[in-house]
Amino acid sequence: MKRARWRHLVPLAAVVVAGGIGLMIASAPATRLDPASAWCAPSPARLLGCGEAGVDLTAVVSSAALRAVALAVTVSLLSFALGTPLGVAAALARGRFERIVERGCDLVQAFPTFILALAVLSAVRAPTRLHIGAVFALTSWAPFARLALAQTRVLRGAAFVEAAVALGRGRAGVLVRHVLPNVVGVVAVQLGSTGASIVVSEAALAFVGLGPRDGVSLGGVLDQGVAAMLRAPHVLVVGAVAVFFTSVAMLAAGNAIGNEVGESY
Amino acid sequence: MARVAARLLRVWRVVGGRVAQSAAVVLALASLVFLALRVLPGDPARLVLGDMAGPVELARVRASLHLDEPLLAQYARFLRGLSRLDLGDSLRRPGTSAMARVAEALAPTAQLALVAVAIGAATGVAIAIAASGPWLGLRKRAWIDAGLVVAAASPLVAFAPVITWVFAVRVRLVPLPGDPDAGASGLLFASALLAVPLAAHVGRITRASLQEVARDSFLTVARAKGARPARVWVLHALPAVVGPVVTVVATQLGALLGGAVVLERMFERRGLGTLILEAYATRDLPVLEGAVVAAGLLFVAAQGLGAAVHVAIDPRARGEG
Repeated sequence: MKRARWRHLVPLAAVVVAGGIGLMIASAPATRLDPASAWCAPSPARLLGCGEAGVDLTAVVSSAALRAVALAVTVSLLSFALGTPLGVAAALARGRFERIVERGCDLVQAFPTFILALAVLSAVRAPTRLHIGAVFALTSWAPFARLALAQTRVLRGAAFVEAAVALGRGRAGVLVRHVLPNVVGVVAVQLGSTGASIVVSEAALAFVGLGPRDGVSLGGVLDQGVAAMLRAPHVLVVGAVAVFFTSVAMLAAGNAIGNEVGESY
Repeated sequence: MARVAARLLRVWRVVGGRVAQSAAVVLALASLVFLALRVLPGDPARLVLGDMAGPVELARVRASLHLDEPLLAQYARFLRGLSRLDLGDSLRRPGTSAMARVAEALAPTAQLALVAVAIGAATGVAIAIAASGPWLGLRKRAWIDAGLVVAAASPLVAFAPVITWVFAVRVRLVPLPGDPDAGASGLLFASALLAVPLAAHVGRITRASLQEVARDSFLTVARAKGARPARVWVLHALPAVVGPVVTVVATQLGALLGGAVVLERMFERRGLGTLILEAYATRDLPVLEGAVVAAGLLFVAAQGLGAAVHVAIDPRARGEG
């Protein structure tokens, strides 16, 4: 990886390292309540202060940021792994399958994703991160499939693809050996924006009350901050800064990895 | 005559295609909501009444929601109700139609979104024109470009609470969240917050489009005829880039709708977002279904309107250029 690209991974590495250190130095686990210390200001004992019912914000923010990154990475990679072969296969198959996949992408990308997530999560008594990840995966495969479809349309008439077909390679062989390696780089650029939007959407869902049931989420911290805007503004600032840095770090890292993958092939 | 007919046919094809696509989106969204509430593990009647409910109460709710019928019959009934805009009564307000509650909540959300679109589009275009014309130096233009990128990348859920804290608590310029007397200033402030990401996206696209047309001959002619920079950029350059601006406004509406839910929750404003959250919390399934479908309708209607405006003002979008 080029040196300039390594620099783009620094923010994500900083979020992960800060999260790990935060968990080690926190005075209590993220879910431990201490009502006597509710809304306490930052101090050497509790670096980021306390939130509602005395939860240690250092522990909550560290844990929530790490979980948000893990969720975003998992869902982005899963969507990448599902959407890319689907788009390539559709473009190679042409005809009805290609039209169905294209219309499917149109349909999914036209959905107001946040509203869809609210609707689907309402069918669950108490959402977990697995439910939230599944809801995001419902729609996040589409941009990858659409990009792969468009790129494969350009490549399917290329001389090397026609040569492979003429030499008797089957459709699966052409897909895996010849087309996918040339498409992956372009599609991987989407990883960054997908990861960042998952971090933000998870925070927004938790902010409006549809977060994971353990309450450990960046949106939950923001919700507490808005409720205690007058007496404990530090909670608001901590939550906002954490959401901003985590999403920007995901965006930068995803773009750097996408560009690196693109140049490798 | 033949040319007019051919043009009308092209417009009809574009508009007809958009209407069919919009109808498919709403139908798919409605079907997904219907299936999510009935097929996912868990009894919807228990979701409504809770774990302590007795068998008689559960049977009553199942009957009122028609959950005791086969799934296909329920789906047909749901689609029939949807086509008549009648999804039954609200479970939490018996005697009040679910769609009436949705219609009541739609107006404040549409108001919030419309004011946000107006502020966002006007601000974005103004910033782009200011940064493209001869009024600013290179360094200031670079700062504006960087500012637009940062604003476009900043999540609303992160910056809206902080800006609200600054303006409502520190500077005391705007009403506090939840203030029942917030009135027009509350609406304006919430819309302005919602407009920030839209203004940034519109600003970036307009700036890029203006840079593309900056060296076109029609602008050179306008300058040679003695037109002032403001006239050149606003009257001559801007109409040439309206198409991408309308498209970006239409594509940002989904995010705007999601943002409206967050802001309505934060400012405790009435609207579709708070209705969805309230229906979720109280498991008022007819209201929840109606509100989500209405949000989808609002979204596709706005997108369709954006596409129609684009087709009407840009001959290239009709395949004529």
